[in-house]
Amino acid sequence: MKRQIPLLIVIILGFVFVVHTFVPHKISADFYDWYQTWMKAISPFMVLLGIMSLFMVNWAKIQRHVPNWQYSIVTLLSLIITGAVGFIWGTQEGTPFMWIFKNVQMPMGATMFSLLAFYIASAAYKAFRARSLEATVLLIAAVIVMLGQVPIGMAISKWIPDASNWILNVPNLAAKRGIALGVGLGMTATSLKILLGIERTYLGGGE
Amino acid sequence: MAKEKMNFFDRMQALDRRYIYLVVALAIILPLLIPFNSKTYVTEPVENLYKKIDSFAGHKDRAILMCFSHDASTMAELFPMEVAILRHCFQRKVQVFTICFMPAAKPLMDYALQTAKEDYTVQSGEDYVNFGYKPWGIFLPIVLGMGDDVAKAVETDDEGRIVSNLDIMKEIKNYNEMNLIIDFAASGAVGTWITYARSIYGANVAAGVTAVMAADNFPYLQTGQLIGMLAGLKGAAEYEKLVDVFATYKNADGTVGREFSKEILKDSWVKLSDIKNPVYKTARIGMNAQTVAHVMIIVFIALGNLGFFINKRKNKAN
Repeated sequence: MKRQIPLLIVIILGFVFVVHTFVPHKISADFYDWYQTWMKAISPFMVLLGIMSLFMVNWAKIQRHVPNWQYSIVTLLSLIITGAVGFIWGTQEGTPFMWIFKNVQMPMGATMFSLLAFYIASAAYKAFRARSLEATVLLIAAVIVMLGQVPIGMAISKWIPDASNWILNVPNLAAKRGIALGVGLGMTATSLKILLGIERTYLGGGE
Repeated sequence: MAKEKMNFFDRMQALDRRYIYLVVALAIILPLLIPFNSKTYVTEPVENLYKKIDSFAGHKDRAILMCFSHDASTMAELFPMEVAILRHCFQRKVQVFTICFMPAAKPLMDYALQTAKEDYTVQSGEDYVNFGYKPWGIFLPIVLGMGDDVAKAVETDDEGRIVSNLDIMKEIKNYNEMNLIIDFAASGAVGTWITYARSIYGANVAAGVTAVMAADNFPYLQTGQLIGMLAGLKGAAEYEKLVDVFATYKNADGTVGREFSKEILKDSWVKLSDIKNPVYKTARIGMNAQTVAHVMIIVFIALGNLGFFINKRKNKAN
């Protein structure tokens, strides 16, 4: 029963929404309005579930003293402190919440993302070699696009931004479209498999 | 066995990566500390978005929706474009709505509004409304619901007010009036707006994305499903320039703002030292650092390959 009921909910609602998309009848529209109201009521509980899950996972790590369990303390303390100051003083400009955001989250987030520049430079130097024809094409394209994205490219020659745009608009586009079509077909096939009850891995393992 | 003496290129090939990190750090930090003037060339997707927003100027029955779909990690690229667009709207009396579906985006949204409105006398509920954070679970009901009624779909704003009671909503019903959505993202979130708001309701959609995500959105740009796009810091710098050249331009008669013109743009040159507020030139200063960093990476690639080929030739000769 633990598997049959969720499976039935997915199959029935899945087909109901397929019908709703193709049948613009009043009953269908009313059902959708009713569903939207329910969604609004239910979805905040997802946040609650997320917080509970975060707590349970990290609490278990702390209790079992798994490697790097100290980080779990930092995670939980951050969650509690940020949540508490938000609830007590609000989240507007000038509040402790905003202070934490500007002085802790902003610099830490920026630091994580900026590491990319160092890794790219290092990888470009150590590994980006014209070892084959394909690698050479990639290398030349990368240099043109990098120059085309900054003002110096235009200052060197007008054709650099033009060539950069051509690379992005023609070969890049062809590849992206190919990938998008593949992903689209894959999604359709997977959705059908879920609707027909063939794909059941989302229900989780065990009995 | 005597150790073979390493030549310059051998040593360069075996260079400790910490030296590379040091050079990159200097290449980025120095242009940020000592900004220099470089010409910003405005591309068509940025120009199109600017013109679309500007066409809403002074119209009570038009509004734009800015959706913040990113966190602080990508703020360096996306925040300057958000501020530039908000400044444009506040200056030209374009009605703005803001919304986010990520908890981490909420403080960013507040910060962007706070930063942009510093120099303007704009009122929440009259000139703009912050719809606030809505849980991701109701993203689709809200996107689809706004196709019928914006106020009904979002219900309350960030301050807890009933949206339908606000002055700004008098002539705004659905996507026919709130006819431009700009999604700021470091992910594929833009696609969802295209799939639902654009395909079903015909709303105009534009994107402000990180440079790495720009390539993913080119197919939508080419088909016209995206009416414009700001790609990374470069897009933000271009938009900042458009705001300076047109929206905040001081006319001889004392009025502010002028219509977009390709001719004016072609000959325009904005000196960074002429802009007093550092927030209004963040992206352009950042572009200095990006220019040096790109050149640096190209030099690294060239040096790496030079060493590779010289060693290859030497090995062949041996």
